[in-house]
Parts: sequence; C-alpha cells; structure tokens
Amino acid sequence: MTALTVNGEERASRSGPMTPLLDVLREEFFLTGAKAVCREGFCGACTVHLDGEPVASCLVPLGAAAGREVRTVEALAAGGLSRLQQAMEDHDAVQCGMCFPGMLMTLTDFLRHTPAPTRAEVKAALAGNICRCTGYERIVDAALDAARSA
Amino acid sequence: MAASLADAVAALAERAGEGAPLAGATWIMRAPLRREPAASAYVGIARIPELRRIDIDDRSVAIGACVSHAQLAAALAPHAECRALAQAAGHSANPAIRRMATVGGNLSTSAFAAADLVPALLCLDAEVELQIGGTGERMALQRFLAHRTSLEPGWLLNRVIVPRRPRRSAHVRLPLRRAGDYPVAIVSLAVEDEGAVSVAIGSVEPVARRWPALEAALKGDALDPVRAAARAADHLDGFNGRAGIEAPGWYRVEVLPVLVGRAVAALGRPA
Repeated sequence: MTALTVNGEERASRSGPMTPLLDVLREEFFLTGAKAVCREGFCGACTVHLDGEPVASCLVPLGAAAGREVRTVEALAAGGLSRLQQAMEDHDAVQCGMCFPGMLMTLTDFLRHTPAPTRAEVKAALAGNICRCTGYERIVDAALDAARSA
Repeated sequence: MAASLADAVAALAERAGEGAPLAGATWIMRAPLRREPAASAYVGIARIPELRRIDIDDRSVAIGACVSHAQLAAALAPHAECRALAQAAGHSANPAIRRMATVGGNLSTSAFAAADLVPALLCLDAEVELQIGGTGERMALQRFLAHRTSLEPGWLLNRVIVPRRPRRSAHVRLPLRRAGDYPVAIVSLAVEDEGAVSVAIGSVEPVARRWPALEAALKGDALDPVRAAARAADHLDGFNGRAGIEAPGWYRVEVLPVLVGRAVAALGRPA
C-alpha cells in the first residue's frame, strides 16, 4: 500500500509504484477532475499540485508521490468558487472543459507567486496547458482579472 | 526509494544491470508510448539529499543529479557566466515538466537527442561525477556522452561540475511553437574574456557535440551576428542531421547559421 495525502485526506493506494498518479486519482479515488489526454506531459490536462507545485500527474509514478501532499482541482472550490474560478465564469472562458482543470491548477499556483502578472507572463505560464478549443485569450483575460481583483 | 547514495548504488548493483535509477521520471514514464519495455526494477533516487543540492563557490557550480530544471534556473539566475545553462534550464519543455525533469536524467538519457542541458553544459566545459562499480569517477561531459551507453551496468551520475570563469554565454533553441515543443536545433555559445569561443550543438544529431571548426573560425573574432552566421554557413559539412517528427535532418542543419547569429546577438555586451 502507498500512503499519500489527497486534498487534505490521508489516503492509501493498492496500485503498483509505477502506476501514474493520474490513474490512481481517477480510477481508484474517483477524482476525475484531472484529465487523461496526451499522457506525455505536453498538454497539461492532468496537472495537479504535488507538495504545492503543479506537475503533470500522468508522469508521476505513484511511488514518487508516497508520503507527499496532492491537491486536485476538486479542492479549489472547497469554500465556494476561488477568485480564479469566479473570474473564469465571469469571462465565459470554459468551453469543452477538457483542458480546464489543468489551466486552473497551473494558474492558481502562478498567481500565488506572481500577483501582478503581465499578459505575456500569463501566456508563458500556460506554455504547458493546451486548449484545443483555442480559448486562450479569454482564459488569459480571466487570469489577469483575477489578479487585479485580488 | 533509496535514502542515501550508498543505498542507491548497492540497490543498482544488486540488480546487476536489470534495474535503473528513477528521479523525475518524465522519460521513463513515457516508455510505453515509445513501445519500450520497462526495466525490471527502478531505484528511486529523488530523495537522496546530496543529489538534490546545488553548491556554488568561487571556482565551480556543482549540481546534484536530482536537481530539477526549475531549481537550476532559479539558482543560476544571479550568475551571469552560467547564463546559457540558466536559459537552457528555464526554457526547456514546459513549466510543469521543468519542475519534474532532473539534470541527471537529461544527461543520462542517451536516446533523448533534444535535451537542452547537454549543449549548454558542453559549451561551459562541464564535467560529470559518476559512481561506477562502487567507485567514484570524474570525466569531461563530452567523454561521458561518448561512453554512457557502454558503461558498466549499475552506474549512477551523482553531480555535474561547471567551472566558473569570466565569460558571456547564451543558449538559443528553435522549437516549432514558441514554447513546449522539442527544439528542432539548439546552439549554446560561450565566449571567454581572452577570446576563446565554445559552441555546442544539440538536437541536430543523435548526440549533442561541440563544433570545433566554428570555434576555431570565431576565435579572437570581434563577434558580430551576421559575420558569425556566415562563418557557421561555411562549416556545416560535418553535420549529419537526424530525421524526426519535428523536422527532416537537412533542415536541422540548415537553420544552424541563423541560430549561431541569434546566439551571438543574445550574448549582449561584454561585462
């Protein structure tokens, strides 16, 4: 068994140590917010926070997450929508939703470290989050709005 | 998950070449996509404290094998003479991968031709420290690259040592998109105060390497982007570009003069 903390709860997984963390989250813990898309670290749809840092959970073996703290998109709205989530809704930025959990996890961390970003900085932060609906501009607008209203 | 370097070396030795070290895991976790078999066992080395350190003194920068690209970029930001390496670490792949992928993995993955850190470290005359058969060995990075596929099974890369010298450097890459893709070609350039020039090329051939003919042509030159690009165009003969999904081999070679010019322009003025 591998023990880890997921969204503040102590959890244990029966999966093997080389199982992608993404699969443990989705198939064992039924946290389906992180999406399985490219499975090679290019698209960002599976982004979660590992010890507070956004990573591609498709490339994290469960064994490497042992004893560590995982936060998924499900944890963002624990006390109502986060400021970023609200900004996304206000800007009507969500389209198909496949990339969106990853976008939120990347931007939540980015805005924590960069409270007053430029548009170019937001785009650079999203270099590893691909949106095939091509909704980038409204997502960037919403991120800048969330930063301004903080 | 090994707790110490000695544990990791012992665990790898016990598996007699059937096991592999695992740190950032960004390459190993994609083995199924490349239709490669997994190793029979992996020895986790990411939590070994001495492999996670960056030690900087007056003479050198010593980088532990399990330092991530993001950690390296942040640590080198104040050190102008290592700018090429900071740029390589800070612009490879994408932000999430840079937080995961390690220096040791980037250098040890012989099948990864587009590794950004390799040409940057080559142009800065880096050396590597290895554990081979229970003993430590230090060798030039260039030699390591030539021998890494034929080393005794169970070897482990501990640290990378970059000498600190007064120099300007730059790392220029050409991805298909502005960020996120594997680069078609990479040029790393370093110029010492005495006029010595180091040029390393990555992603063009299967293994990154220095470009001695261009280094000789540029030595002592008052570096100018247009002139340097022209000299690069005169010395393309030795390259045999690799075909790949991003670009055909000939294209990787043909873009080199332009990238050399950009690298010279990116050096900025002498300090």
